[in-house]
Amino acid sequence: MPAYILELIVVGLGLILLLLESFLPRLGAKGLAAIGSVGLLVVLFLLPSVTGAPSESTGIIWKFYSADSLALFYKGLALITTILVLMMSVVYVPVMQRYLGTGGGVGEYLILPVFTCAGLMWMASANDLTSIFVSLEVVTIGFYIMVAYMRRNVGSLEAGVKYLILGAVSTGFLVYGIAFLFGVTGQTNLDVISTVLGLLEGQDKIILFSFALLLVAFGFKVAAVPFQMWVPDVYQGAPTPTAAFLSVGSKAAGFIVLSRIVDAFLGDHGVQTGDGSYQDQIQRVLLVVAGATILFGSLAAIPQTNFKRLMAYSSISHAGFILLALACAYPVRMDMASGEVVAFYLAAYLPMTMAAFFVLCIVRSSRGEEEISVLDGLGKRSPFLAFVLLVSVMGLAGIPLTVGFLGKLYVFQAALDQGHFVLLAIATLGAAAGFYYYFKVVRSMYWNAPSDQDAIAVGTGSRVLLALLAAAIIFLGLNQGIILGFLR
Amino acid sequence: MLNQYIPVLMHLLVVVGFATMTLLMSVWFGRRSTSKQDIKDTAYECGMIPIGENQPRFSVKFYIVAMLFVLFDIEVVFLYPWAVVFRDFLSADQILIFWSILGFVGILFVAYLYALKKRALNWVG
Repeated sequence: MPAYILELIVVGLGLILLLLESFLPRLGAKGLAAIGSVGLLVVLFLLPSVTGAPSESTGIIWKFYSADSLALFYKGLALITTILVLMMSVVYVPVMQRYLGTGGGVGEYLILPVFTCAGLMWMASANDLTSIFVSLEVVTIGFYIMVAYMRRNVGSLEAGVKYLILGAVSTGFLVYGIAFLFGVTGQTNLDVISTVLGLLEGQDKIILFSFALLLVAFGFKVAAVPFQMWVPDVYQGAPTPTAAFLSVGSKAAGFIVLSRIVDAFLGDHGVQTGDGSYQDQIQRVLLVVAGATILFGSLAAIPQTNFKRLMAYSSISHAGFILLALACAYPVRMDMASGEVVAFYLAAYLPMTMAAFFVLCIVRSSRGEEEISVLDGLGKRSPFLAFVLLVSVMGLAGIPLTVGFLGKLYVFQAALDQGHFVLLAIATLGAAAGFYYYFKVVRSMYWNAPSDQDAIAVGTGSRVLLALLAAAIIFLGLNQGIILGFLR
Repeated sequence: MLNQYIPVLMHLLVVVGFATMTLLMSVWFGRRSTSKQDIKDTAYECGMIPIGENQPRFSVKFYIVAMLFVLFDIEVVFLYPWAVVFRDFLSADQILIFWSILGFVGILFVAYLYALKKRALNWVG
């Protein structure tokens, strides 16, 4: 079964859900989420059985689409993320209904992630500038709606407008960059572009210019400094499941495409740093952006009092670490390519972020607030939620025995291999700041006195999922071979 | 050499002439009276009253219908080039072109059912 069938199944699932929602309204949010996640789970189990391009590739689709192991890995990430987002949305529905007004249903909020998931999966495979653009738009347009879904809530609307306008500008940069790259090479397929770029002489300036435009566009998607302004406001205003989806799904898809583009530009240039070639300059730009992103994200997270803003800045700083891995193309002494380090980091980032946002969803639906202070005394009131959040922030901070530690370890190893000692110092600083601001959450849960004693009700399904996520954070941290096994 | 620009010159003349004639004709036939009359002294804005609130409110139904119109209009626009190349593709044994447009129209058909069921096309109520 060729890999693109999976996307067709996911789109078909979305269409079926859309019809079910309009013709069987009594299905409700729970029913839609259940059908959606079971369908996505089936696709997830079909994932290992798909095949890549046939050797004598006849179909025109393989010019736009690749099904290498990295693409399949990111498809898996997209599917797992979407299933978790659907589950989270069910918990969040009561909060949303308050802001919908008369005649506003939540059905579409549970269907849009499925369509967005199809876009994310297509992005993971896109290896042609046109398919990259189309799949990116499928994802982004879905997000525009989901961010602004709580239409009677000023914060959600503000987030929606900010995301829409900045997203449109970044799309403009993307198209401009694609146009320049096409102008230089006359090709849209990234593999062919890589070959053509290797043959060009004396076109460095225009190649660098097109790369800069593309970097602006994807810097926006993955929240890299200086294109990160939208992140805190959008995360704070958007419905919490959407913030989680943005933080994991959108970022992962942005990074797979960015790493494919960086690979195309660097070609097989190798590690000759400091020779002044455009490959060397691209690497230097990436290093500067990575350093700035780590620094900004880590330092700006320190004074935050809103949990979602904290997670937003933490997601910026994590993007910096991933960019650092991306900039260390071809680490020589490790048996991992930089693309694999990136994928590992994102796979580690998924359960940690999802667990944190899931706990926040549950707390929000019972308390109606998202400040860190709302977690005060959670360790006494709901020990289970507090423990899951503890494991999750431990992972995000990168404490050993969690999967977050391994992700950071590989990034540091790659940077060490390449001899980027300044960046290593910045990354250490960022990780240290991370210990501080994640500890604020832990302190609030276990040290501060609770403002009320009531335990927060957690459904059985949510309890099982949270336990699974916490177990994954620790278990994957002890067995690094599992994620690596999926990668190869 | 310059001869090939004669059509451009004629085009220019027509444009300028049309604008001038329109203005002059409205002066000649409009019989603007010299006495002061409010309705005749207002600026002409396609029949709309030019003075009012700067952000008039429209019913959201207009936007929904307009959006749906654009969607299904674009669908038809895509069908034209498809119909033009359809025969060539079939003779080259590329049956894929049939399935791809079927998928495209199918997705929009589901969207149409959804819009119908959500009463997006009901003007009243």
